[in-house]
Amino acid sequence: MPMFDWLKFSSPKELRKAGVLGMNNRNYNIISKYNQRRLYPLVDDKVQTKLLAQKADINTPGLIGIIEFQHQVKNIMEIVKNYKEFVVKPAHGSGGKGVLVIIDYTDNAFTTPSGRTISYKELYQHISNILSGLYSLGGQYDVAVIEELVHFSNIFADFSFQGIPDVRVIVYKGFPAMSMMRLATAASGGRANLHQGAVGVGLDIATGKTLKAVMNNLPITHHPDTNADLAKLQVPFWREHLLIGAKAYEMTGLGYLGADIVLDAKRGPMMLELNARPGLAIQIANGIGLKSKLKEIDRSFPTGLTPEERVDFVLSRNA
Amino acid sequence: MLKKFFTVRKILTLLLLLSMAYAGYSIYYKIKYWGFSFAPKKMTDVWTIEAHISFEPTGEPIKVSLAVPSETEEFKILEENIVAPDYKMKRVKNGTSRVVLTAPAQDKPQDIYYRLMLFDNRDAKGKIYAPVPPAPEKPFWDEQTQSAAKQFLKDAAKQTGDLPQQIIKLLNQNPPHPLTATLLPMKKTQKNMAALITSLLAEKGVPTRIARGVKLEENKKSFTPDLMVEAYINGKWRIYDIKTAQKGIPENFVIFQRGGSSLLDVMGGQNSSVLFSALKSVSSSFGLAGQRAKIANQKSLFDYSIYNLPLAQQNTLKWFSIFPLAILIIVLMRNVVGWQTMGTFTPMLLSMSLVKTGLIPGLVCFTIIIAIGLLMRFVLSKFNLLLVPRISAVVIFVIIVMQALTILGYQFKIDIGSSAVFFPIIITAWIIERASITWEEDGPVNAGREVFFSLLVALITYFVVSNEYIRHIMFAFNELNLVILFIVMLLGTYTGYRLTELKRFSPLAKG
Repeated sequence: MPMFDWLKFSSPKELRKAGVLGMNNRNYNIISKYNQRRLYPLVDDKVQTKLLAQKADINTPGLIGIIEFQHQVKNIMEIVKNYKEFVVKPAHGSGGKGVLVIIDYTDNAFTTPSGRTISYKELYQHISNILSGLYSLGGQYDVAVIEELVHFSNIFADFSFQGIPDVRVIVYKGFPAMSMMRLATAASGGRANLHQGAVGVGLDIATGKTLKAVMNNLPITHHPDTNADLAKLQVPFWREHLLIGAKAYEMTGLGYLGADIVLDAKRGPMMLELNARPGLAIQIANGIGLKSKLKEIDRSFPTGLTPEERVDFVLSRNA
Repeated sequence: MLKKFFTVRKILTLLLLLSMAYAGYSIYYKIKYWGFSFAPKKMTDVWTIEAHISFEPTGEPIKVSLAVPSETEEFKILEENIVAPDYKMKRVKNGTSRVVLTAPAQDKPQDIYYRLMLFDNRDAKGKIYAPVPPAPEKPFWDEQTQSAAKQFLKDAAKQTGDLPQQIIKLLNQNPPHPLTATLLPMKKTQKNMAALITSLLAEKGVPTRIARGVKLEENKKSFTPDLMVEAYINGKWRIYDIKTAQKGIPENFVIFQRGGSSLLDVMGGQNSSVLFSALKSVSSSFGLAGQRAKIANQKSLFDYSIYNLPLAQQNTLKWFSIFPLAILIIVLMRNVVGWQTMGTFTPMLLSMSLVKTGLIPGLVCFTIIIAIGLLMRFVLSKFNLLLVPRISAVVIFVIIVMQALTILGYQFKIDIGSSAVFFPIIITAWIIERASITWEEDGPVNAGREVFFSLLVALITYFVVSNEYIRHIMFAFNELNLVILFIVMLLGTYTGYRLTELKRFSPLAKG
């Protein structure tokens, strides 16, 4: 009786049996144990993440410049003068808030991907807003990051309505544990956040192929806007995707992290951002409890491997 | 690693148990020695009884002896003083307490005032010592009276109740029993009635004694003491009202004197009389707790408790002492139930405001402020202001709305308007800011959901903290806060599923 689906509750016993990781358990037994507080700034500040990533040889969108203070905002044209296109984003933003993409511009007209043009004054105001903390968590003063535009691979064009499809990989003790692709929908307003109504596609960690897809917690087979068959999704360069996640472990020291990865048409998989407190919705998209996966890693995975060895271990193990 | 966490949990559990044991003992102690109770009885009656003794001196040295109440389980003496200049005072305790006043010969009519402040101590328990009295002497009656008494007692046996009650009922029967006139040829005064009851009971071999006391009634002036008859039945003294035949000390009855001795003896005086007046006043129970502690020789501990503070500070602390319980509810709602609310303690502060405003006026007023605030915030978002000035503008706007509501409420005599002032301004402004940001980013449904759950948690908290009993208990037995502290800390190690997760993750469940 679908009408009463919203009434469906499971017993804690059933969830335990399914190996579901709950919020309290995640916070108490995973995050507070494996993620040291002092490491958080490394992933909460995109500038730091980017610099670390470059050192660790992880692909990220190239950094064009940083605007730290209000009086520097007027330098924006000087900063981007060698680039035809650029992205402005807050260093402490989350969930794609405050990201402004410019694909073409003249002195006073800046074109966004949707075709809308904004004036210099509006661009100036947007950067000011970022600095004042409008988009940052907690509203503290922020820094505007200007970086190169990612040329999204059109492989996924059919699978996403506007917006950018990205791959989230959960990495536990350096081993990729679970992954999903997030596809924007009309309902999610072009954003890739599941709680806003984006589609979550659980991916087989060994192959990068679809396991299952959900939207608003309910299973679906086709994208609601593009009608693409979600079962046909296959993420290319899967090993490279996983390698980015695995390397992020050494790079940050976080035992439990989420890596958001996008696929650039020319440069391949690129790390967009890292998250020290990745959400638990990925379990629903995969139809698998995360706790059982983490337990498996705790029990039977070898230690002391390099990122490459860890990825190969995961790929060979599950293939 | 897992072992380490078990230890944390064990330590906290141990601390919780210890704090519970401590709280349990402390509650017992407060009830026993300070007269605290679980019921929120804020006021205790305090009675002032004044005995006015007057007599004309005969020219000899004067000795006045007045029976005074000793403490009983019902009443404790708060203060006692005697207004009798030129008299020397001595206390005598011989069965019943007496005050003995002596003075050299006087010539003018004398007035002595004995003043006593009692408070109702029924909350605290005690025992009365009752020695076994000797068997009474048979009354000395002529033959006619003797047979009348026998017949009367026979008829009395048809009445209900125990023996003294049967006798009293028959004596007070209306129309009077034919034999009453024979037994009681004189005026039917309390004194004569009591004497007859005593004699009749003595005939039956029941020891009796007369008790004199004062029935405390508000603003009763110049009355004579009431008489009661006590009969020793089945190893206990039982007291009877000689008019109603009711057994037991009537409510608000203070016994001054028991047994054969008189209430007042005056030597060196004549035409002596004693008239009583009683005055009732109320005093806060917590205020009297100090007196109770003193009586129980537990004063020093009391000095360092909340209840010895000035009333204004007590009220502030009383307000605080409910917070831990509200915090516990918040912790439960967030970590065990799993409802997402705006800000951690916002619902708690909201519920505190509702306690002050009253539920319906508070909710209506809050809704109006939030609705107008949100409208204003949507206009503001068009201006693209920086964060701090924007939230500041919302704060100022909230203040203006509150002022307007209060003024309108006063002008149009709407009760709701005046409750506006009780909402915390900054919190209200932040709720508006958060709601509007969530609205813009996650849509009106999510914003509505956040506000709804915040209000729901606030309402649940409100119903708990607005309960008079719970508030009283949390203040009177503030050691419970220690218990709550450890419960909250123990909840900090709770790693089970949240209630909302049982639904959220139900697609993953395996049977």
